[in-house]
Amino acid sequence: MIFPFTAIVGQEEMKTGLILNVIDPSIGGLLIMGEKGTAKSTAVRALAELLPELEAVEGCRFQCDPGGKLCGECQEKNRMGGPLPVAHRKMRVVELPLGVTEDRLVGTLDMEHALQKGEKRFEPGLLADANRNFLYVDEVNLLEDHIVDLLLDSAAMGVNTVEREGVSFTHPARFILAGTMNPEEGDLRPQLLDRFGLCAQVVSVREKESRMEILRRKAAFDADAGRMAAAWKKEQTELARRIKEAQTALPSIQPGDDALEKIVKITAALSLDGHRADIVMMKTARALVAFRGKTAVEAGEIRDAAALALGHRMKRLPFEEMGAQAEKLRGLLEGI
Amino acid sequence: MSFSGFVGRDDAKLALVLNAIDRRCGGVLFLGEKGCGKSTLARRFRRLLPRGIPFVELPLNATEEGLMGGIDLEKTIREGRRCFQPGILSRAHDGFVYIDDIHLLPVEILALTLNVQGRGENLVEKEGLTLRHAAEFQLLASMDPAENFLPPHLLDCFGMAVVWGKITEAAQRAAIVRQAMPDLFPESPEAGRRDRVLAERIGVARSRLAGMKISAGVEDCMAGKCLESRMAGHRGDVFLFYAARAHAALMGKDRVEPADVDAVTPLVLNHRRRQLPPENEPEQSEKREPRPPPENNPKDQKSAAADRQSHPGGDNQGDEKTLPEKRESLPMEAVFESGEPFPLRRFHYRRDRIKRGSSGRKIKSLSRDKRGRYIRSAERGLDGDIAIDATVRAAAPLQRLRGGDGRLVIRPGDIRYKRREKKVSHLAIFVVDGSGSMGAQRRMVATKGAIQSLLLDSYQKRDKVAMIVFRKDRAELVLPPTSSAELASRCLRQMPVGGRTPLSAGLLAAHDLVRRMGRREPGLRFLVALITDGRANHCLGGATPEKEVSKIAGLMRELPSTEFLVVDTENKAGLIRMGLAGRLAAQLAADYCRMEELESDRLLAFVQSRW
Ligand SMILES: [Zn+2]
Repeated sequence: MIFPFTAIVGQEEMKTGLILNVIDPSIGGLLIMGEKGTAKSTAVRALAELLPELEAVEGCRFQCDPGGKLCGECQEKNRMGGPLPVAHRKMRVVELPLGVTEDRLVGTLDMEHALQKGEKRFEPGLLADANRNFLYVDEVNLLEDHIVDLLLDSAAMGVNTVEREGVSFTHPARFILAGTMNPEEGDLRPQLLDRFGLCAQVVSVREKESRMEILRRKAAFDADAGRMAAAWKKEQTELARRIKEAQTALPSIQPGDDALEKIVKITAALSLDGHRADIVMMKTARALVAFRGKTAVEAGEIRDAAALALGHRMKRLPFEEMGAQAEKLRGLLEGI
Repeated sequence: MSFSGFVGRDDAKLALVLNAIDRRCGGVLFLGEKGCGKSTLARRFRRLLPRGIPFVELPLNATEEGLMGGIDLEKTIREGRRCFQPGILSRAHDGFVYIDDIHLLPVEILALTLNVQGRGENLVEKEGLTLRHAAEFQLLASMDPAENFLPPHLLDCFGMAVVWGKITEAAQRAAIVRQAMPDLFPESPEAGRRDRVLAERIGVARSRLAGMKISAGVEDCMAGKCLESRMAGHRGDVFLFYAARAHAALMGKDRVEPADVDAVTPLVLNHRRRQLPPENEPEQSEKREPRPPPENNPKDQKSAAADRQSHPGGDNQGDEKTLPEKRESLPMEAVFESGEPFPLRRFHYRRDRIKRGSSGRKIKSLSRDKRGRYIRSAERGLDGDIAIDATVRAAAPLQRLRGGDGRLVIRPGDIRYKRREKKVSHLAIFVVDGSGSMGAQRRMVATKGAIQSLLLDSYQKRDKVAMIVFRKDRAELVLPPTSSAELASRCLRQMPVGGRTPLSAGLLAAHDLVRRMGRREPGLRFLVALITDGRANHCLGGATPEKEVSKIAGLMRELPSTEFLVVDTENKAGLIRMGLAGRLAAQLAADYCRMEELESDRLLAFVQSRW
C-alpha cells in the first residue's frame, strides 16, 4: 500500500510541480531540492498510484501507446497483422540507482540471448523501462557526470539512440523525470539544472500543528493502510478527476500575446541563458490554468509559474545566499 | 517544422546552406549557451537535403565499435568465422554527421571521428579482420563554450563556426516561444514552401560550382583576410575559398567576387583567430600595431575609473597597456623571446603526493580507473575489468570447433578487458594579477616563462597548464587548459595589463575551472598558483572586496585534489607592508613564496615540487 498523495501535508510546490508535469509532460520534469527525509520519493510514488491506468500495447518492451507513435517492434507487428493487442496498466515509478552503468541506463546487447540463441537482440535499459512512466533519480547530483549527460540528453529528445558494442538501436524514451538533490552535498552544473523543466524546494515543516498532523497521518497509515486509503478515497478520486479534466482542457488553452509578452519581459530582464526558461514558463502557466479550471492565463499563473521555472535557472555566485537576479525577479513579479 | 521558419540566426542558416551546396566547406560548429536552439536548427537542416543524403547523429553513448564497426556476434557464432558489423560511420558516407554537445563526447571517440573524416575512409583492423569503407562526411556539431572548451586543433577542423549570441529583443523571444509550441501556434504553410524553394536553390547552386570563375582581386582579398586573422596553418585559406565559391553559387552568380568573400569571412575565420572575439566587444589584445612600451608607474585608481567613464563604449586605451613582445630591460623576457626554455632539470610530478591522495593504497587508484567510461576492449587490461561482450565476441567464432553443446566455451586467450577513457593527470592553473599595479609586466613575464617551460619540458603530455588573468572588472581565461606549448605561446604572445584588481573574480574563475575540469576528468589533480599581492579593489557582488576574497578562499579550500601556491608580489622594500597575500595563503592552506623568487627559475621549480 502506498500513502495517499492527498494526505501529504504541506510541500505544495513539490506536489504542484509533479501534477503539472502529469498534465503536460513536455514541461520537462521536476527537480526537488531539499534535505533528506522529506518524503520526496513517497510523493512521486503516491502520485503514480493515484493516476488512472493507461493503454499500452500488450507485450511491448517500451509500453507503446497504441494511439501514439509506435516503436520499431510494434510498427513491425502492425505491418504483419492487424490491430495490436491493448492492455491497461498503471504508470510506474522507475528508479535510477546511484551506481548505474551506462549499459544499464541506455541498454546493451542481450548477451544471454546471443549465447543461447545465437541471435543479437537489444536488451532494453532503464530508459526503455521509463518510457511513459516516471523516472525517479534520487540524488541526481551524486551521479557520475556522463551518466547525467546521457540521461538528460534522452529526456530532452524523448528518444534513446544507442550506438554501442554490437547494437544500434532507437526507441522512444518519454518520461516524467523527477530528480532530487541536496545542494549541501554538491550541486549540478547550470547546463544540467537547465534541463529540468521545474524546480521545487522542500523544507522540513516548521509549524507545530502541521508536524503533529504529519505524525497523526503517518501513524494512521502504519496502523491500517487500508482504512487510511478508504478515508482518503474521496480526496484521491477528486484530484484524479481534476488532473484528467486538466489534461483534456489543456489543448484548448491558448496563451494570449499579453501573457507571452509578460513572460519574455521577465526572462529578458533577468538575461537568462537560452530560451528554455521562457518556454517552460509558458507551458507551466497553461497547465496551471487547466488545473485551476480557468480559461485564460493571468498574472497569478505567471507568478506561480515563475516560482517553479526560474529558481534553478538564475545565476548566483557560489558564496551568495540569494543572487542579485533573484532580488530582481521579486521586483519584476510584483510589477505584473 | 521548417528550416526557413526557424526564428533568426541567419548566419547559422547560411553556414548550413553553404555546406549543403559544397561538402568542401568543411562542416559547421555552433557555439552557444544552453537551450538556445542549436540542435533544433541542425536537425531541421535535414529536410533541406535531397533524398539519399545521409544525416546521422552520433550520440554521446557511442563506443568505438558503435562508431567504427566491430564483430557481429550473431553472424560470427552462426557461421563459425568472424564477421564484421559496420558502425555509425558506415552510414555517413556522402552525408552529414551531427554531434550534439560535442564537448561532452569522450575525447577518444571525437579523435577517431575526426581521424576518419580526415582520411575520407574508415579502416578497422581487428582480430585479424579488415573492414574498409568510404566515409566522406561533413561534421555538424554544437557546444556550449561555458561548459567546456574544445582544443584549438579540433576547432580548426571545422570549416565554419557560428557564435549564437544572446537574443534579448522581446518580440524575437516571444517568436521563439511560439515556435517551441507548434500545437498552439502552427507554422504557416508558407515556411514549408520556402524550404522547398531553398532546397531547389541549393540544387541549382550545386550544379553551378564546377563552372564557377574567380574575379580578379578575390585571391588577394582572401589572402589578406587570412593574414589579418593571424591564424595558424593554411586550412582557413582553403575553407574560405570554398565557402566564398558556394556563396557565389547560392547567389546565382557565375563568378566569385570579393563580396562573396566578405559574406563568409566571419563564418570561416572567427574561430581560427587567437581567441573568439567576445560578442559586441572588439578584442583589445588583437591590436596589431606595436604600442610604445608602457610606463612603469602604476595608474592611480581614480584616473583609471575616470578613464572608464569617459569612454562609455567599453574597452578603451586609457587604462589599457599592451605588454609588448620585447622589453630589453627584462632579462627573463629576453630568454623567453629567444625561444629558449628555462635552464631546468626535468619536470617530474611528485608521486608520493598522488599516492597519499588516494589513501596510499594502490588498489584504490586502480579501482578509480575502473570508473572511467568504457571506450573499447583490449587484450590486456586491469584484473577484474573484463569486457564480457568483447570476450564473447572473441570466443564466438571458435564455438563450433570447441563443441560446447549449446553452452559457450571460453578459454583464457579469449578474455578481453575494458579500455576506459584516459584522464589527464595534472592541471596547473596560474592566476595572475593583471591590474595596473606595480610590476604587472614582471608578473606576466615570469608566469609566461614558467608555463612555457612546464609545457616544453613535460614528458607527460597528459599534463596541462592554464592561465587566468584578472584585471579591470573581470577574470579572463587567457589560456584554456592545454598541453600544447605552441598554443600557449600563441595565446600568451600579448598580454594586456592595466585597470583595477578584481582578485575575487580571479579566484572564482580558478574555482570554477577546477570544478569544471574535475567533473569532466575525475582523476585530475590541480595546482593553483596565485600571483598577487593579495590586494583587491573591485568586487563581484555587493560586499566588500576583502570579504568576498575570504569567502571564495574558503570555498576554494574545500576543493578536492587541489593544492595552492601563493606568490606574494608585494614590494618588500615599500614603507607600508600589508601582508595580505600571506593572509590569503593562510586561508587557502597554501604554500607561500615571495616575488623575489620569481627572479630565477624558482616559480617553475616550486610548481614542479608541489605535485
Ligand atoms: Zn512498442
